[in-house]
Amino acid sequence: MPDIQQIASSVESIRKTFEQHRYICSNQIATAVYLAFHLKKPVLIEGPPGVGKTELAKTTATMLGLPLIRLQCYEGLDESKALYEWKYGKQLLYTQVLKETLDEVLQGAKGFKESVSRLHEFGDIFFSEEFIEPRPLLKALKEEHGCVLLIDEVDKSDHEFESLLLEILSDYQVSIPEIGTVKALAEPPLVFLTSNNTREISDALKRRCLHLYIPFPDIDLEQRIIQARVPEILPELRRQLVNFIHELRGLDLKKVPAISETIDWARTLLLLHTDRLDPELVRDTLNVILKFQEDIVNVQAELTTLTSKATKI
Amino acid sequence: MERTLSNFIRALRNAEVRVSTAETLDAFNAMELVGYRDRAFLKDALSMVLPKTADEKESFSQCFDSFFSFKKFDTDPPDDAAEVSEGANDANEGREDNDGDAEEGGQGAEGRGAGAGGGGRKSKKKKGAAVDESEDEDLGEGEMSAPASNLGKLLIAGARTDLAMAMASAAEAVNLKEIQVFTQKGLYTRRIMEAMGLNDMAREISQLRQSRSTPDRRLGQELKKRREWLREQVRDYVEQQFLLHADSTGRRLREDLLRRVKLSNVEQRNFRLIQEVVFRMAKKLAALHSRRKKVFKRGALNVPRTLRHNMAYDGAIFDLHWKSVKIDRPKVFAICDVSGSVANYARFMLMFLYSLEEVMPKVRSFAFSSDLAEVTELFDRNKIEDAIAKALRDYGGGSTDYGQAFVDFKKNCLDDVDNRTTIIILGDARNNYGDPRADILKEMYDRCKRLIWLNPESRNSWTVGDAEMRRYSAYCHQVEECNSLMHLERIVGNLLRTVQ
Repeated sequence: MPDIQQIASSVESIRKTFEQHRYICSNQIATAVYLAFHLKKPVLIEGPPGVGKTELAKTTATMLGLPLIRLQCYEGLDESKALYEWKYGKQLLYTQVLKETLDEVLQGAKGFKESVSRLHEFGDIFFSEEFIEPRPLLKALKEEHGCVLLIDEVDKSDHEFESLLLEILSDYQVSIPEIGTVKALAEPPLVFLTSNNTREISDALKRRCLHLYIPFPDIDLEQRIIQARVPEILPELRRQLVNFIHELRGLDLKKVPAISETIDWARTLLLLHTDRLDPELVRDTLNVILKFQEDIVNVQAELTTLTSKATKI
Repeated sequence: MERTLSNFIRALRNAEVRVSTAETLDAFNAMELVGYRDRAFLKDALSMVLPKTADEKESFSQCFDSFFSFKKFDTDPPDDAAEVSEGANDANEGREDNDGDAEEGGQGAEGRGAGAGGGGRKSKKKKGAAVDESEDEDLGEGEMSAPASNLGKLLIAGARTDLAMAMASAAEAVNLKEIQVFTQKGLYTRRIMEAMGLNDMAREISQLRQSRSTPDRRLGQELKKRREWLREQVRDYVEQQFLLHADSTGRRLREDLLRRVKLSNVEQRNFRLIQEVVFRMAKKLAALHSRRKKVFKRGALNVPRTLRHNMAYDGAIFDLHWKSVKIDRPKVFAICDVSGSVANYARFMLMFLYSLEEVMPKVRSFAFSSDLAEVTELFDRNKIEDAIAKALRDYGGGSTDYGQAFVDFKKNCLDDVDNRTTIIILGDARNNYGDPRADILKEMYDRCKRLIWLNPESRNSWTVGDAEMRRYSAYCHQVEECNSLMHLERIVGNLLRTVQ
């Protein structure tokens, strides 16, 4: 069990611990985690796809030794899937049981009034925590030693769902009409929201979060990331391939390669036992980093220049 | 430090970063946590709390850098006569002369800003300067007496940090952050100097100059030199603060004006600014309407869905689900008159429509002056500005013939018009007395969901001369006067509301 307070004591130690978990990050990212931990605020992470937004939440969970509860958002996600649902089957079953034992329950009851009040007690039982099926958000609140809650791709969900999130994000509580307000236990969850910016997130949500924008890393940082993730690769090849990727990001492409693609490519090249980039090899493996035929055709035309630029010292 | 942070947030708001009160409180908490020893750390921390989009982060970064750059006096004060060589001294004097000129410029500006009264001061100053210069020559190097005034002491000691602090607090005292327009720069420079104790020092200088002892006179000369240097620094500082605090007020005024001004009167040089305004308006609208709407068909049961959802209740059907239809984003046909008189309106309307791509992905646009052609492809291939320029170049300029344009439209794409299509026609309906072919417009009207005619002319000239508006408007669902960005915003907003 890692010592959470110790790790979160400074930005530097967070960054170091991240590195031990093979997540290389800039100071900014570490600062975001530091602030989130100490200010107890959720973090909204934005940035192009594949820069490690989801990975950040996952690594934070492993780093702090907390369970990760993940909620993947999609259009049509509603509270019965995100927050809680009643266990209808169980409720029905218990009603049946009650029906059969009704005589016993009402035995000795004097008059109609008393019978009703006895029955009332059962009504309350059916809508108690016993019969609630907690979904990720509620589960996160009930986690005893705190947890990391990842609300992934929040931009894919509907506007209504965003509003649903507001209560949990600002006060770490949810209101269930039949039961009342459920508050987080001792330690509120550490919440990460990610967004690919397919639509504007509402101001109300943004206001409640710290906002972290993760851009593509610079050459230096990306080299270190590759080193951490694919340690077997030769330094020279690593340098060349990162350079090449950065050249590509400068081009006008439909989808530029992200870090995850760089890592995949590094693994591919490793598998092919190569020690340097050459145009032929790049041509054959281009489909690892580019995901649109249009882009591949465009890049192939300039392959020789790009490769020679990347391999130049 | 709290004051400073709230001032910084004000500057941020000025730079169009939206900061709410809740976020301000967060910023205070964050600052308490990280302290302000480590500048980069503080910047990182605040950049998570205050700005909430990538664009805002950029403005934030700039704003932070200029706000929290404690005005370092980038040059040393002109050095002690004892320490520098003759040549350097000359250089200093040369600079001082320049300063004098610049100062007059500043004074002039101030005179304009503050009204009369500047003139007299200026001439007096000039005279003083003339006398000073003649005196400057005959003092050699040697010892110098100690200055009496506070400011003088600081200046002679060359205490840059202290001076900077004094300047910052003086700026605070005269409320420099209230500066609004650039003509106030001279005024604020002088006020700050005065708050720093300029008057005391001026008195001291004039006393010293009349004094008999050479060291005194030498001191006077030195002080004067350094005063000029200080003035330059203060002016820099004011300039910087002006950019920080007041820059956008003027711009906002200008933008406000541009929203109201008739689009045909917009000058070329304002196009860029208008474009920004258009994009911003479009973004606002897009955010407002980006949700796809559902219409519930009450009464039509969605049987599969209901059965599935009621499985949990032992098949007892009590949680009913109704059929609903997701409404697709509108299909818009924009037909623009690009002849000379209305070209500018077409430019901005197309810009607006295409900036709304996020909510209206299916815009097809047509341009005509006499013959009509589809320009959708131009917009697919080029950036908005280029596409508009090309469309106007290729199709604009001729004399308008609405009849011919409608004939062309019928021939090319009337078949594509269906009951989900909204047609927007932008034009002044001035047909040069040609055949209006309102029959084709009627056909379009019958087929489409909505036909909107936007006319840039004011309503009372719609029926005057060769305008055919009266005939056309019978076949429109809506006719609107549209000649400013405000109109355009309202109309497109309505469009989004009604067609969805």
